Amino acid sequence: MITLIYRGIIAIVMSFTVWNLYTEKKIALQANAAIVLIPLLLRLLMIK
Amino acid sequence: MNKQIITASVCLLAALSVAGITGKNFMEVKKPDELRPGPGVTQTKMLSDYFPDIAGTNADSTVYVMEGEQPGGKMLVLGGTHANEPSGYLAAITFVESGKVEQGTVFVIPRTCNSGFTHNDPQEGSPQYYTIQTKGGPRQFRYGSRAANPLDQWPDPDVYVHAASGQRLSGSETRNINRTYPGRPDGTLTEKASYAVRQLIDTEGVNLTFDLHEASPEYPVINATVAHETAMSIASNGMFELQMAGIAMSLEPSPTNLHGLTHRELGDYTDTLPLLMETANASQGRLRGKTNADLVLTGKDKCYVKAQKLGFLYVPYDETGHPIEERVGRHLQGIYEYSKAYSAQYPESPIVYNGLPSYQELFLDADPSELGGTQLGKYLN
Amino acid sequence: MSIELIIFLAMVVVFAGGCFLLKLPVSISMVLSSVVGALVGGQGIPLRHLVEGTFSYVDTILVIATAMIFMKVIQESGALDALSALIIEKFHKIPALLLCLIMLVIMFPGMITGSSTAAVLTAGSIMSPVLILMGVPMLETACIIAMGGILGMIAPPVNIPAMIIGGGIDIPYVGFEIPLAILTFPLAFLFVLMFGYKYAKKISYEEIAPKLNTEPREKFGFKVYIPIFAAIILMVVNKAVPQIPDLGMPLVFLISAVIGLFTGYKIDILKTCKEAINSVLPVLGILMGVGMFIQIMTLTGVRGLIVTSCISLPNLLLYVAMAISIPLFGAVSSYGAASVLGVPFLMAFLAKDQIITAAAISLIASLGDMMPPTALAGIFAAQVVGLKKYTDVLKRCIVPALILIAWAILIIVFSPQLAAILP
Repeated sequence: MITLIYRGIIAIVMSFTVWNLYTEKKIALQANAAIVLIPLLLRLLMIK
Repeated sequence: MNKQIITASVCLLAALSVAGITGKNFMEVKKPDELRPGPGVTQTKMLSDYFPDIAGTNADSTVYVMEGEQPGGKMLVLGGTHANEPSGYLAAITFVESGKVEQGTVFVIPRTCNSGFTHNDPQEGSPQYYTIQTKGGPRQFRYGSRAANPLDQWPDPDVYVHAASGQRLSGSETRNINRTYPGRPDGTLTEKASYAVRQLIDTEGVNLTFDLHEASPEYPVINATVAHETAMSIASNGMFELQMAGIAMSLEPSPTNLHGLTHRELGDYTDTLPLLMETANASQGRLRGKTNADLVLTGKDKCYVKAQKLGFLYVPYDETGHPIEERVGRHLQGIYEYSKAYSAQYPESPIVYNGLPSYQELFLDADPSELGGTQLGKYLN
Repeated sequence: MSIELIIFLAMVVVFAGGCFLLKLPVSISMVLSSVVGALVGGQGIPLRHLVEGTFSYVDTILVIATAMIFMKVIQESGALDALSALIIEKFHKIPALLLCLIMLVIMFPGMITGSSTAAVLTAGSIMSPVLILMGVPMLETACIIAMGGILGMIAPPVNIPAMIIGGGIDIPYVGFEIPLAILTFPLAFLFVLMFGYKYAKKISYEEIAPKLNTEPREKFGFKVYIPIFAAIILMVVNKAVPQIPDLGMPLVFLISAVIGLFTGYKIDILKTCKEAINSVLPVLGILMGVGMFIQIMTLTGVRGLIVTSCISLPNLLLYVAMAISIPLFGAVSSYGAASVLGVPFLMAFLAKDQIITAAAISLIASLGDMMPPTALAGIFAAQVVGLKKYTDVLKRCIVPALILIAWAILIIVFSPQLAAILP
């Protein structure tokens, strides 16, 4: 149960990260957001 | 479409690709190594046969049963308690693939913390596999993590409280199976795994239990046997024989204030006599240099040679390292001498087996150029 | 020159070049530096290692992101203003005590969770308006919050670096409370008075009373404080009653933030969350970069080079090496420094009392959270008070950091004597 909730939290943080990625103007900061997404996605899918 | 959206999409796509490529790799390492049990194995069971709750989870693990033709005592060998300590894993595999029990029954669990074999710790730079040339050709073995996979019980608590004693450790230790004994049927997956081991011991009436470990060379308890007070007389008798065989081994009593470990809790909570053995493994140490499969198998490491000269280590260390044959050999010889001491002390339930290489055969008499896997491979199918 | 040294230099040069010449974000510079380190070390571009390294911080990311969401919510709901007004009203007559109380409040979430980030972003953000209203300048306020955060992380009952260091040689986390209290509380009171007393002693309630925003309190009454109490209660209950499954900090922060939506001014939750994540993204990126950086350092043997070089110094220099190397390595993570260097140093001081020494080393490790590029405590403290440059906070904290190191070393040197008199 707690794991599911935490996956939900990951999903929330991920969605706002993607939103920020698209509203960010500087490419370097877009890349920064993209890097953060990688482990979040792998954890959300329970791969790593 | 404006430029910002395009660049954002490119970044997103790149992140997805990296996640895809690495994700595929992380999934692949979850596949268990294929073991090739020898004729000594009379039955194959699962840990979940003793505690069905873990069936179908990463905590479930194969139990190889090796029953002798004559009745006798019962012995359990726990390998792979920590999946980053390969000598324990490989010693258990060698037992399963080459051993033959004459009297009594031996249970071998090569992957005691099966979950630990399904991932690697971040920031450790560990190899995912190491390869050994065996009788049946080159074989890959998994190098895993000290603790269970976080995915199996995510998230960790900030502080891990050992249920039976109230002892507090850092949160990640909640996934260390050798801090969760005697286990709980309704606990975390790791606690359930240790509970299943305890159930096996109770159900089968296991008399003698070995837990095979490795330690970093700078760790004080190394090249050592840790014994519960109930196993102390066997340990001291066996130790004498080990020293005769040229193996320097220290004997440590199991601390009464350190909880969750096999040598403490299995002795306190079951009737088995628990012994834990440690060999020297550079690839898990904090002082190690370049980290790769070679280091795992040969133990050759210039940082440890330097640290030895500085007096920081608890084992001798030179350019020859500590090859896997030496480490597996210590475990196998240890099991042999301690089980012999057990049989002498409890003649009504002896444990007798053969087929396994001695320390002398595996390490001392080996061609130095074959150390680091090839020599050990001669005893693997 | 050994290959490890060449790799390390290549990594440092690429990192510095990325940051200062190309003006890239710290995170991107660290990623580039990790890639170059792997290439020079003959590893190609090991994607798996790069990504694996980041996983040390997945839980940290969640703590930081949710703590920031919680902070923004209590800010916009009016809870922060209400609490500041209340505290100043009650305690303005005794500024020294008020400062010490504020310091304890800042430390509290760190003491309970073992995370300086939690302390800085929650209690730090609650207390910063109070300090500023008392006349403490922004920079000093940020310093108080940052030092409070790291001391809170080390103060008992929960100290993760001490657990990590102790765990390295199998010392259970027992008997650490008193040494940790001796190590942290005197410093905490000293630092808050150092930074704040000069300004706070001149406090005049009549002057600041009109600046206090009492509207939320009048409008919503006690209700406005509920999210803050909820966070405190959940944190304490989680630790005090081990039988209850640990909710973990991220969930505690989110629950409290959700409560905050109904206890004060109306909040646009989507916008608030987006802003919260946006403000922490640079730090989250740095953590990812750091994860890759350490993984490559370990893989290529650079970590081994650093650790063995540090402990190979002669005995007296060992203290100096510890004082320098642990905080420096803490630049990548204070927990990482505790594990990688804290354990070997504890072994190097085996003649000393182990518990007290481990506790003192954990205090030095806490300084890692003040070391750029991560400097989590410094960055967030600056952010909380609204300072643009966090480096000023770090510079201003050099003297307290030196005092902290001296205190820790003093305690290690006299640990056998101290152990004899402690219960």
